[in-house]
Amino acid sequence: MSWLAVAGEAVATVSGPAGEAAGGEGGSPQVSLTPQTRVLAALIAIAFTAFVLDLIRRHRLQERYSVIWFAAGLAMLLGAAFPGLLEVVAGLMGVRDTNVALFSLILLLLLGLALNFSIIASRQAEQITRLAQEQAIATAEEQAASAVSAVGGGAGEEVRRPGDGAGGSQAPPG
Amino acid sequence: MVFIPAWNEAEHVPDVIGGVREHLPEADVLVVDDGSRDGTAERARAAGARVARLPFNQGLGAALQTGYLYALREGYEICAHLDADGQHPPAEVKRLVAEVAADRADLVVGSRYRDPDAAESDDYTATITRQIGINLFRFFLSLATRQRFTDTTSGMRAANRRVMALFSDRYSPDFAELESLQRAVREGLRVEEVAVRMLPRAGGASFLTPVKSAFFIFKSLLVLLVGQFRPRETTGGSE
Repeated sequence: MSWLAVAGEAVATVSGPAGEAAGGEGGSPQVSLTPQTRVLAALIAIAFTAFVLDLIRRHRLQERYSVIWFAAGLAMLLGAAFPGLLEVVAGLMGVRDTNVALFSLILLLLLGLALNFSIIASRQAEQITRLAQEQAIATAEEQAASAVSAVGGGAGEEVRRPGDGAGGSQAPPG
Repeated sequence: MVFIPAWNEAEHVPDVIGGVREHLPEADVLVVDDGSRDGTAERARAAGARVARLPFNQGLGAALQTGYLYALREGYEICAHLDADGQHPPAEVKRLVAEVAADRADLVVGSRYRDPDAAESDDYTATITRQIGINLFRFFLSLATRQRFTDTTSGMRAANRRVMALFSDRYSPDFAELESLQRAVREGLRVEEVAVRMLPRAGGASFLTPVKSAFFIFKSLLVLLVGQFRPRETTGGSE
């Protein structure tokens, strides 16, 4: 966690003078951004949300995976519009430094998101495997149906009958 | 029904198929080709086996699962599998099948270490890492299952429909052997080892470097640990 605090301090020193320049707002002038910064942040948030929408429109992103990104865009927009919000959140977390609160939250969010992707990837890997297996089995069944005569019958085992499709055009290889 | 998981084994697979058909003439033979690029599927078909071809390499576990699923779907009472590299004599598979057929066990595993004389006589002078791995696997699997296992990674087995149902439903793609034995025992199936003779590897040495095998051992033990805390599936789920 120490490097987190370091990162927070680094940002604090950067935002410090800017806060003084803006003259502070609300009770404690901890979170304070210049109008330029706020406008820039808002523009980035809007551009980001528009980009997400465009991805959905072009079928590059499925709707069910888009919710989290809309939430991220909205959070960015809110942060730009009401910088005091961050202070409230920091207060709720019991963290004195708002930067630390911000960085911790974002890190946790990204961690959760990355894990979520791994879970999705695992599920899809399982689905792909099953798909491949089903396809392989279907091919093998087809082969068995078309070449029953070439394969010996089983004793005490239920052997497939060529019932469907009347044999086949495919001759047994070899 | 006998199935053979094969990945780039075009060289050996026809002989293995021939051996199975010689020793188990009543069995259907299925080769599960795990995305080979060397014509394994074609050679297997030419040798008279059915072929289930996975379109890309999925790992041994997925290949075995395919075999179990096929056996289950096609209604076979007993299935067996052996490696495609020629290490497993088909005559020994016949003995495993006989055990299952006599209903002495649900799952029978061929062990190359069960018989100490055989282990010495064959070319099974394992490397140090390999020996460590073998012993660790033995120890932890025996601990986890409260049953003695000697050859935890054997790829020669015979099984009935209860096992087919269990393994076709879910089978770890990477750490197949160890976890599957653990699950079978946890699900209350009768698992038994039978001493078998295995041949030395026909082509080249083991593909595992010491680092890789250490990693493999670590992963396998992790899987085993996690497996101990998995919820049991309701039953073996036969029929």
